[in-house]
Amino acid sequence: MDAEGFDTLVATHHREIYRYLVRATFRASEADDLAQETFLRAYRAHRALPPDANARAWLFAIASNVAKNHFRAESRRRRAHTGVREIRIETDGAGPEGETLFKEARTVLDTVVAGLPLKQRLAFTLRKVHDLDYDAIGRSLACSPDSARAHVFQALRKIRRSLNGYELPVGRDER
Amino acid sequence: MTRKPSVCQEIEPALLATAIGDADTVTAARVEVHARTCALCRQDLVRYRAIEDAVGAWRGAPAPAEELAHARLESRLAALRRRTLLYRIFPSPLGPILIARSEEGVSCVEYLTGGADFAHSRLSRDEGIEALLDGAEVEALYRDLLEYVEGRRTRLEWPLDLRLARSEFHRTVLETTARIPYGAVRSYAGVARELGKPSATRAVAQALRWNPLPIVVPCHRVIGASGALTGYAGNRVTLKQRLLAVEGVRTRPAHRDFRIERDAMYACAGTDAEYCVPTCGSLAERSLADLTLYASRARAEAAGLAPCTACRPDLHPISR
Repeated sequence: MDAEGFDTLVATHHREIYRYLVRATFRASEADDLAQETFLRAYRAHRALPPDANARAWLFAIASNVAKNHFRAESRRRRAHTGVREIRIETDGAGPEGETLFKEARTVLDTVVAGLPLKQRLAFTLRKVHDLDYDAIGRSLACSPDSARAHVFQALRKIRRSLNGYELPVGRDER
Repeated sequence: MTRKPSVCQEIEPALLATAIGDADTVTAARVEVHARTCALCRQDLVRYRAIEDAVGAWRGAPAPAEELAHARLESRLAALRRRTLLYRIFPSPLGPILIARSEEGVSCVEYLTGGADFAHSRLSRDEGIEALLDGAEVEALYRDLLEYVEGRRTRLEWPLDLRLARSEFHRTVLETTARIPYGAVRSYAGVARELGKPSATRAVAQALRWNPLPIVVPCHRVIGASGALTGYAGNRVTLKQRLLAVEGVRTRPAHRDFRIERDAMYACAGTDAEYCVPTCGSLAERSLADLTLYASRARAEAAGLAPCTACRPDLHPISR
């Protein structure tokens, strides 16, 4: 891919990659950093990308890696300072300085998805929000398409159980 | 928690797939049939579909501070692009050579005297740049350069990026040197004079010592005022002799150095538009610092010079 192609890539996909990472981290400032990291990596590698490659899936794969590394580093830090910032992101998602994204509009569903294990959360978001196919999700998460599907299904089961008894405001008429 | 009948457990993945639109029509039909008779599964189906609908609202919904994030990315990318150089290392008759370019132009040609890997390059020690190994864009430059050092090409019409010049003065020296024509030589003192700094001979030599683009910015065409080649790429004056020989400039060995055959070269004084044979009376008082020497009439004329009307090099060329 040439420099022009890369410009197009940034213009077309940065926003959705950012949204994906916002879903992954639930913090705008972290998503901002991680999206930058994603595109800086992509810039360094884009010349080797074959012209017929699926650039969008490739970007999501880089973003997923960046997110995974971020949480790995985060959990190392957390272990090092046990108790200081306990499970802030994985289950709570609310930042301490009021940078919580969904402070007002945050729905129950947001909270439940934020509480999913990382791989399930990423797989679920890639599939249901960004509409990637299971092959692409598998490449993003370094697993087979079948495990990608299993992650999505597992996420949905957990969401359903977490919402048990709680009726989502948006619903389909079903009689 | 109530345990579901086994038939429900068995159909559960299909039910989930159906609810989120992943299932094929046969599976979906099977699930619908089952749900009609099973209240629990029907309820699950409704719930999954509600989740599906709620998540659907996330699709395409902008995230907070999206435009700000985009602007920040653009500026970081611009900074990265500015400091990125793409390079590759090639074998050449002159030893391993590294060629690097930025988005603006060719910025580095380097003889890797220590070995053919990046660790021996000056780029590896420059914190202001990010060097990325990349072949495709540099490959064409390499082919040009090979032809050039083998004498099959006399011009390298490359866009240059002099970012690795160490100062504004160095940059000016490089730009002046870049204008010395193929097959010609000038002295360090001559370059200094052209810059309007006649006492800066040593500074010119220093600037060329750090020339980030040897061959391309032809510092091999700049020699001592005595006619000695004096130095090149550390202590590789033989490379200088070799590059000059390719351009037709004749030299002879002298005291661990080479000296140009001044008597075999045509000369042009200062900014004259004419070239002369070396014995021309008009050159009698001129030192090498004042002259540009040409390997042949063809080279002088290619540089836009006309034969001197007094010594007529066109009628009485230097006899070899």
